[in-house]
Amino acid sequence: MLSVSEMLKMRDKLRKWREENYRNSEQIVDVGEELLNEHASKLGDDIWIIYEQVMIAALDCSRDDLAWSCLQELKRQFPDSHRVKRLAGMRLEALERYEDANKLYDSILQDDPTNTAARKRKISILRAQGKSSEAIRELNEYLEQFVGDQEAWHELSELYINEHDYAKAAFCLEELMMTNPHNHLYCEQYAEVKYTQGGLENLELARKYFAQALKLNNRNMRALFGLYMSASHIAASPKVSAKVKKDNMKYGAWAASQISRAYQMAGRGKKENKCSVKAVEEMLESMQITMS
Amino acid sequence: MGEVELSCLAYAKMYLHASQFPRCSVNGLLLSSSPAGGDVCITDCVPLLHTHLSLAPITQLALTQVDAWCSQTHQRIMGYYQANACVSDSSPTPCALKIAEKIFEQCNNAVLLMIDGEKMFPGCRVPPIVMYERKDARWALKDKHTIMLRQWEETCAIVNQLFSSGDQALLVDFDSHLDDITKDWTNQKLNAKIMELISPANGNV
Repeated sequence: MLSVSEMLKMRDKLRKWREENYRNSEQIVDVGEELLNEHASKLGDDIWIIYEQVMIAALDCSRDDLAWSCLQELKRQFPDSHRVKRLAGMRLEALERYEDANKLYDSILQDDPTNTAARKRKISILRAQGKSSEAIRELNEYLEQFVGDQEAWHELSELYINEHDYAKAAFCLEELMMTNPHNHLYCEQYAEVKYTQGGLENLELARKYFAQALKLNNRNMRALFGLYMSASHIAASPKVSAKVKKDNMKYGAWAASQISRAYQMAGRGKKENKCSVKAVEEMLESMQITMS
Repeated sequence: MGEVELSCLAYAKMYLHASQFPRCSVNGLLLSSSPAGGDVCITDCVPLLHTHLSLAPITQLALTQVDAWCSQTHQRIMGYYQANACVSDSSPTPCALKIAEKIFEQCNNAVLLMIDGEKMFPGCRVPPIVMYERKDARWALKDKHTIMLRQWEETCAIVNQLFSSGDQALLVDFDSHLDDITKDWTNQKLNAKIMELISPANGNV
């Protein structure tokens, strides 16, 4: 049995994970199951949102027993709720009963055609079934109506990346960068897509956006490496002017020194990452040679 | 092409990598410390990514660094593995074929290994892997009988032991390394733990 303060700590942990949208389902099941089994009476109104959170985590961990009991509690308390119906649908999805899940979501949409949660679940089913092109088509239609849905734009960019449609992935990321100008991850992902598309123009864009990501978060190692690699490739290209070559060698050299410094600091006192530090040093050396 | 042997160390780390990120596609490189020519033995692996497998920069970065590390440690990259997020689909994606092709350019008995998620459950009798080799300018399924996993049951026991002791959480892939560069993507600590568990009679080095 937990003390009251321990119980409150667990409840706060669950809230933090909920608010920051962590998908640490095994932990949520661990903490949540104990909380619900031993301390349900002390949770007040929080209990319902905790049931929902634990149910979803339980589905993620194949704990149908736990998911089922959470669902029963929620059904009892909110018998006609669309929100609970959607949870029932998610359980059917977890059991791979996709047709039944779709029927449930369709009934929600008949009642309430603007229910975005049900529409998004239907798209997730397409994704789970490997029907990427249909998922992409549905998601595009969804976004025509709900153009501000960040989560949907990001999901669409992931789908396009998986399909190697980098131009369209870039478009989605541009939307995200416009509405989230301070998010370094979107900048960095956009740069990666541009780099992958290749060609001098895209490499220059990639370098600029890697640099932008670094400005927003100077500890983003992917952005730092990306800056190094794009600058090095531009400098090594026979098609650039002497000035462009010189500038990019400067950017590359700067990035290389930052990388070295970061690895030296990381390697201090830790014998185990000696290997990764050495590998980086050798890589930086070898790329210097190809650049000059 | 002849026999390919998959060491316990390589298998265990691949399996742990796929288990660590069950909702993502994961990939990695297969290494060999045995000399080129002759029968192939996959002696180790480096887990690479669990996000955006098909984007170039990080993949290129990882390949370059693993290459550098291999030349320092007398190993060579001789294969590629991937586990798809969609469990029911274990066929190689275009990205897998592309990387395998690149490896084949440097190593003419390169292998492409897909992890079959549907067979990853406790008590499964067969290794959850499907291997491809280069034949007639394409990647063809390799005859199961030419894939050797010595001491299969012991390997399974070792993997289970890693899960029960919580040591599977020690696995670091290149993606995780980039999130925190104090983490070691060569997995020296985990390697040592696995080698300890491999009994002397096994002789897998």
